[in-house]
Amino acid sequence: MPQSSLYQEEHHPSPLQYTWLEFKNNHIAVAGLFCFVFFLTITIFCPLLAPFDPNVQQIGDLLIPPAWDPNGGISHLFGTDALGRDLLSRIIYGCRMTFGISLLLVLVAMLLGVGLGGVAGMSRGFRSSFLNHTLDSIQAIPTLLIAIIIIAILGPGLVNSMWAIALALIPQFVHQTRDFVRHELSKEYIMAAKLDGASNTHIFFHSILPNMGEMLVVQATLALSVSILDISALGFLKLGAQAPSSELGAMLLEGIEVAYIAPWIIALPGGALFLMMISINLVGDGLRSALRNRLLH
Amino acid sequence: MVNVLLRYLNLVVVTLFILSLLSFLLAYLFPGQAVENLTGLRLDELSTLQNNQLKYAIDDNVFVQYWYYMGELFAGNWGVSFSSGLPLYEDIGHYLPASIELSAYALFLSFFIGLPLGFLAALQHHKLTDYGLLSVSLLGYSIPVFWLALIMILGFSLQLGWFPLSGRLSLIFEIPSITGFILVDILLSDSIDKQSALIDALRHLILPTLSIAIVTTTLILRITRRSVIETLNSEFILAAYARGLTPRQVLMRHGVRNALIPIWPLLAMQFPTLLTNAMIVESIFSWPGIGNWLIQAIYQQDYPAIRAGMLAVSVLVVIFTMSIDLTIRLTDPRRRRVGRAAI
Repeated sequence: MPQSSLYQEEHHPSPLQYTWLEFKNNHIAVAGLFCFVFFLTITIFCPLLAPFDPNVQQIGDLLIPPAWDPNGGISHLFGTDALGRDLLSRIIYGCRMTFGISLLLVLVAMLLGVGLGGVAGMSRGFRSSFLNHTLDSIQAIPTLLIAIIIIAILGPGLVNSMWAIALALIPQFVHQTRDFVRHELSKEYIMAAKLDGASNTHIFFHSILPNMGEMLVVQATLALSVSILDISALGFLKLGAQAPSSELGAMLLEGIEVAYIAPWIIALPGGALFLMMISINLVGDGLRSALRNRLLH
Repeated sequence: MVNVLLRYLNLVVVTLFILSLLSFLLAYLFPGQAVENLTGLRLDELSTLQNNQLKYAIDDNVFVQYWYYMGELFAGNWGVSFSSGLPLYEDIGHYLPASIELSAYALFLSFFIGLPLGFLAALQHHKLTDYGLLSVSLLGYSIPVFWLALIMILGFSLQLGWFPLSGRLSLIFEIPSITGFILVDILLSDSIDKQSALIDALRHLILPTLSIAIVTTTLILRITRRSVIETLNSEFILAAYARGLTPRQVLMRHGVRNALIPIWPLLAMQFPTLLTNAMIVESIFSWPGIGNWLIQAIYQQDYPAIRAGMLAVSVLVVIFTMSIDLTIRLTDPRRRRVGRAAI
């Protein structure tokens, strides 16, 4: 890397810095990261950013096209929907719901999954083989299918769909954590810690967990994209968030009725969802290849 | 060989046992009375219900009940739907093939597009073609399936009018259902306009198949690309070059076959995803498949239908993934060492 070396001192970046240097070289991934930060900002500051209340109906302004259309107006930048609600505000609030809830679900699933995976990885014998067996069979089933099954039992609704998705995401984290712990346990630094008399919990928290961060971030981006797709798909199927809510999938479903005369009502929320997915996948991909290239050095 | 077969048989039996137990317990987890959820009969149909109570031994303990439940399950007596009153076994037998048909066509389509493109991208590694394909595939798997389907309907059905909006076959054709797979049924039927029926069915198939296949194609492309790159970096490829083989010979004799081995299990794992996507797309295109049927059942709180539908779908997924896994284990000597079978 280009660094002016005034002194003879050699500079060795830490593994984290190495990852960042690799990641930075991938410009598309950095663009994805900016996009991700943009959505994060929207999620946090959305009441300040949205020009209107997302649920207020302006009876005089039904189905106004977006601003770039000849019939559109500047007061409603993305136009309005069939009930006269400002689409831009709805999309901003929708991003908050879809993105924010998914982020929350991934964090919850990660905490539980890492805990369970740690237990599964550290333990031997019956307990471990039972956990492995059940997990393997659950992992083959897609999360959306599991979520639909759980919703079939709990009944439709946003909170129920959140439970369902969080539960459906856990197995992947458990699986990854368990494999990682198994892999690390065979390494020599763990043996060194064992010879020093460290207990199993000590080894897990002080030796393995610090090394797991990057794997967890990569896995979390995967889980985040799955979770966003699932929550919006459930909203779209009327199994998750219900009609007046501004969840992006539920908005798409509402838009179908007027799709022919007002295609922007479908195109814009879907586009926001698409952009969200692209940014997350870009960051995830960039991170994965950065990690892979780092290991090659 | 026998050992592996026995191990898999054991795994399949245990998994199926757990699934059937779950579906039995669902009857207790759902609101309402268990015997109603098991049979689909309401309490006002007293006389039949009493007969069934005897049949399911509802007064005995749970284990005896489960035994009788399994007996009824194998006899093809899955109860009736709350909402339509039709027997569930026939209903599922009618709707499941439609979903399988849709997923199978989508899977084949994505194979035919995804595999060659994946090879192309890997052979052009770090060149413009590779980056182009990679970017397109990123767009492809970021797209939400239901949005893609809606956009396709807006574009191709409403604006251009090329393809029909929904359904499986135009109502003017009357094709008796023999196998449940529409194309096979048309070929088997002795209808007068077999050809026009076939064209109509294909026109109905194109949009749903495409919207499911695009996501899977991009996934297959990526999996193939990674596998081929890793294979071409391995040492036996270097050895083959050292023996003086041309790049083409190396690829054909050593590259392709070894690259395909790790791809198969990953591809098999795509089938459940495909089926889930098919369930969403079905409800958009009003395709008469199991997904559409199941989602309707959830809206109507049709508990017997949910129970039976879940059982059918999960058994299908489990048997499919297991059998693919078994074929791989039996054909690939490198995987024999793996002690534990994973589905």
